[in-house]
Amino acid sequence: MWVREERAALVGRVRLLSRLTIGLLVALAAAFWVVQVVRGSTYRELADNNRLRRLTVRAPRGTIYDRAGRVLVENAPSYNLTLDRSETSDLAASLAFAAGALDRPVGELESALARAARLPHFAPVLLAEGLALDQVAHFEVARLEHPEFAVEVTHRRLYRLGAEGAHLFGYLGEITEEELGREPGRYVAGDWIGRRGIERAFDAQLRGQDGERVVVVDSRGQLVDEYRRELGRPGEPLTLTIDLELQRLAEELMAGQTGSVVALDPRNGEIRALVSHPSFDPNLFARRLRRDEWRELVEDTRHPLQNRAIQSVYSPGSVFKPIVALAALAEGVVREDERIHCAGTATYYGQRRRCWHRGGHGWVDLRTALKQSCDIYFYELGDRLGAARLARHARLFGLGRPTGLEIDGEKGGLVPDDEWSRRVRGHPWYPGETISVAIGQSALLTTPLQVAVAYAALANGGELVVPHLVRGERPPAPAKRLPIAPRHLAAVRDGLWQVVNAQGTGAAAFAAGLDIAGKTGTVQVVAQETWIDSATLPWEQRDHAWFASYAPAGDPRLVVVVFVEHGGKGSRAAAPVAKALHEKAHESEHGIVQPS
Amino acid sequence: MRKHTNPSTGSFSLPDGARLRALAGVRWGLLLAALALAAIGLATVHSASAELAVDYLPRQAAWIGVGLVACAAAFAVDHRLLLAFALPLYLLSLLLLVLVLLVGHEAGGAQGWLRVGGFGFQPSELAKLATALLLARMLARIGGGHLTGRDTARALGVVAVPMLLTVVEPDLGGAVMFLPVVAGMLFVCGLPWRLVTVAALLALLAGGVAWGQFMKPYQKERVLTFLDVERDPSGAGYQARQSKIAVGSGELLGKGYMQGSQSQLRFLPARHTDFILAVLAEERGFLGVATVLLLYGAYLAGGAVVAMRAGDRSGLLLVTGLLSMIGFHVLYNSAMVVGLVPITGIPLPFLSYGGSFLTVCFFATGLILGIDYRRWVNR
Repeated sequence: MWVREERAALVGRVRLLSRLTIGLLVALAAAFWVVQVVRGSTYRELADNNRLRRLTVRAPRGTIYDRAGRVLVENAPSYNLTLDRSETSDLAASLAFAAGALDRPVGELESALARAARLPHFAPVLLAEGLALDQVAHFEVARLEHPEFAVEVTHRRLYRLGAEGAHLFGYLGEITEEELGREPGRYVAGDWIGRRGIERAFDAQLRGQDGERVVVVDSRGQLVDEYRRELGRPGEPLTLTIDLELQRLAEELMAGQTGSVVALDPRNGEIRALVSHPSFDPNLFARRLRRDEWRELVEDTRHPLQNRAIQSVYSPGSVFKPIVALAALAEGVVREDERIHCAGTATYYGQRRRCWHRGGHGWVDLRTALKQSCDIYFYELGDRLGAARLARHARLFGLGRPTGLEIDGEKGGLVPDDEWSRRVRGHPWYPGETISVAIGQSALLTTPLQVAVAYAALANGGELVVPHLVRGERPPAPAKRLPIAPRHLAAVRDGLWQVVNAQGTGAAAFAAGLDIAGKTGTVQVVAQETWIDSATLPWEQRDHAWFASYAPAGDPRLVVVVFVEHGGKGSRAAAPVAKALHEKAHESEHGIVQPS
Repeated sequence: MRKHTNPSTGSFSLPDGARLRALAGVRWGLLLAALALAAIGLATVHSASAELAVDYLPRQAAWIGVGLVACAAAFAVDHRLLLAFALPLYLLSLLLLVLVLLVGHEAGGAQGWLRVGGFGFQPSELAKLATALLLARMLARIGGGHLTGRDTARALGVVAVPMLLTVVEPDLGGAVMFLPVVAGMLFVCGLPWRLVTVAALLALLAGGVAWGQFMKPYQKERVLTFLDVERDPSGAGYQARQSKIAVGSGELLGKGYMQGSQSQLRFLPARHTDFILAVLAEERGFLGVATVLLLYGAYLAGGAVVAMRAGDRSGLLLVTGLLSMIGFHVLYNSAMVVGLVPITGIPLPFLSYGGSFLTVCFFATGLILGIDYRRWVNR
């Protein structure tokens, strides 16, 4: 059974097989040599990359304070839910659980997941932001059954005043791909940057410098140890010139209205309050805005995102009259005691012009004309000055160009003249138009902030200040001295004092002992052939109301400009708001606490 | 010398001196290599399970104990007695394979486990042994230096039944492991080469059918991933990539015992079982791997010597079959760990954690040593 030749054949084959096996073992050893010794350092690096994770330590954004050091904008902890897809075997069940815990539709989470489709499988996906504490507890309790979920704590911008001051502060937005590409290296994906207002203008100071932690993680991404830490630099705080109390009061007074308020210190251009209504809540932007929320904001016909104090231009109406008066005095076309007769109507260049006061004001001098806001008087001044001189003086007061406020988007308005007419409209300026400009109508357009700066010049004796919102950041540009004769200025200021204090059109702003001076303005929205009280018209056809003021008249410390869209008469809608603000400023300045 | 054998028990009636001489002549190096590998495995399993809820060291130690008992038992029994019971054993293993299909436990997508007490047990391991025994018995009866086509076909038929039962579990990797056993034995018996060519073509065809009909999506994914590791680096390619990183980052001397970041930070899956060599490679470097490969070389070469000097044809064939099985596991598993072949669930003999395969390996070692011990008797 065990034949010798047979055995030899079998043994030979066993030997062959054995040598083959040994040969393969040697080849394997060679393969290990290549991977471990020849290419070992490469794999060593890969192993290090495996276990080390770079984590950005977000620098907290700088806090924003009001002038008295009260917090306006700060950071608050926010809880975000992340999902690690590699940790779940049933994604649908995981999403269903999360949807239940969050009380949000599954579809919303699914779309969040779909956005992350390009991320590597093991990278956690941001499912939801801004979880409430009880929701956080939900996920912490379910940690064992749902290890795929993690709650991470981040900082979220908190605007303490909500919608108040929203246009001032602006808001944040996550950086876009396009912005990343524009300035390579400056930002990283996931950065939040200032989109509007202070947040945008002072983004560089507020954002600080992110730090970095290099940590050792296991295959689940769980932190095991810290390897290295580079501290970042927190964002710098900003102190605004804003007075929180004044700002809040102005917001309150404008509640329900469309319009804006600018309050500034005429001595240095520091803005005390800047209000635009309607407003929006910048806290909505601090987390990713939902699509319906965004649509609601941009489709609102009242444009809540618009900063009406600096981005909307309106005819200044009668608040322009003091500038016309100063121009006429400076050019010598009128004397301050010269009387002009107002019969209620007058005809210029074949067109019949009406004064707002149907019966006419009779013989009026400059002070009375301001006090009564007599249109006929200023038609005459406008006619005597002509378009070119009127425009030059208007520009002296800063009209027609941005004032230089730190925040962006400021409009320059328009001071029309012949050159402008030929360039833009393609025909010469008609002298008849000058008559309209003289009472602040026609193509003349200003922002409420420009009006405030012009009135600051009236209040401070003829210096054109540069308005600003932030203290100590950028040295305010030096004020420009305007060539105004003190005698002329005194006459105009006297007239403005009488507006409020001598039964003038601004009597509604009268406050005993406050010495408020100012000028009303009423801007027609639709052309009217006769005298109509616009309060009887539909809202959108009603007149716009202006009130530009300063106080105390002898030594002005606050300029307040109020503009109410479709507010009706300036004396009725705008003057009381200005009065309340002057009262408030007076109280805080003299330490008077009102019993509430 | 061979006059006093009692074939029914395999016990000796040799004089004490001759018995001692026979004992001394046994290739004990095989057992030493196996024990050395098991010891290395024990330490590595401990390190690999450091971050797991359970330390697998005590269990593995217990299994080594079980393995040594199996080894002693296999050594004590004459393989010819086992061959006499080869057919009943084979049928019993088939029965267990059918049983596992009905009541088995699932692990890793395949239903290959029977639970006896607290321990899992894979009937396909037993089936491999039984098949090796039956094949040795069949092929030993055939004389001559070469096999005929018919003999080959019969031998393949014996393998095909348990293999197919394993395929439908489905445990393709486990099923493939039947092939080296039969291939080694058939090769040694002398294959009809024309037939081999035809068989190879048929195998190719079968592979295609398997791809289309039997392979589960995860299995196809594994094969595709092997062909292109970057195909899905976080999915099926993950294991292959992480294993290669673990091995490579060990460099020449390793990162130190229990210091492998890939293993300790759980980047490496199945690190205490199929990827135990990757853990060793990471923590002990190329020197550790070389040591292990050297021990396997010694074991296999020693085994080959036993086969070549076996007293009878069945002994030679049985040793060849067992060595083929162990050798193939070693070659495939290490090639897989270093990224040369697709990943499939094949453990490393003596090193990987896992009871049934470890027991089978020690049992096989006992059988081989027993055949060597009785080489002068079983002629």
